[in-house]
Amino acid sequence: MWIYERKLQYPVKIKTPNARTAQIIISQLGGPDGELNASMRYLNQRYSMPYRDITGILTDVGTEELAHLEMVASILHQLTRNLSEQEIACSPFATYFVDHTTGIYPVAASGMPTTTSSIAVKGDVLTDLNEDLAAEQKARTTYDNILRLVDDPDVRDPIKYLRAREVVHYQRFGDALRLAQDHLDSKNFYATNPEFDRSASRK
Amino acid sequence: MTNGNNHARCAQLLQQIREIDFCIVETVLYLDAYPDHQQALEYYHRLVEERGKAMEQYEMACGPLTIYGNQSQNSWDWVKTPWPWEADAD
Repeated sequence: MWIYERKLQYPVKIKTPNARTAQIIISQLGGPDGELNASMRYLNQRYSMPYRDITGILTDVGTEELAHLEMVASILHQLTRNLSEQEIACSPFATYFVDHTTGIYPVAASGMPTTTSSIAVKGDVLTDLNEDLAAEQKARTTYDNILRLVDDPDVRDPIKYLRAREVVHYQRFGDALRLAQDHLDSKNFYATNPEFDRSASRK
Repeated sequence: MTNGNNHARCAQLLQQIREIDFCIVETVLYLDAYPDHQQALEYYHRLVEERGKAMEQYEMACGPLTIYGNQSQNSWDWVKTPWPWEADAD
């Protein structure tokens, strides 16, 4: 289970709404490398993970991604509050507005609704951890791209924080991959899939 | 409950909790991979104690941070202060 804490992991205080910026940042809510898919990827990978230390990393990183999802949603909410119809009509946000008004709905910046296909659970320790390492880098690139397109320091500050967390998570998944390799047959990492083959003992 | 007088104090306490939590999250992710690292464990316990004190102060003065922390006997303060995504939240 989870317990909600009534605070953001890192503060979001945006003074000036900006529909164009919201249209860009929404990809980190509902895009292929966004925080929604990140949390679901790690939390779903846990159940068949045979190694309790790696399960711990998946649980704790997955939970932190939920906090990041809330931060991105807060950025979007504050960027789209108190906008005039005129401001919306003249921005690329108009196409989102027609379907969702200023409610928070997970889509990519391109407008494509969240697809679960990028969650990626393969049920194989090495495959999934390599997926997770790549996912953190893809999210880091997306935040880098957002930073190329956004000037407002109120928005850049929490985005920089989120970018830094992707780098930390990448490092922790590096630890997880090393732990997995320590658990496996050092002569042939691929001799078994310990998530499926019962001969590989639980640790 | 948050009011004009202790608003600054509440914002400061919440920021203190955020900073402690940041250290805890970093330590926890490390401990997952190195569960017997004594120095990291000592640091973890020190942080958790600090967090407990800061949480108690915040919830007494400012309102509940979780559904278990409503201090008032006659008011459900959980729904009376700004939600975290509101621009005027602490």
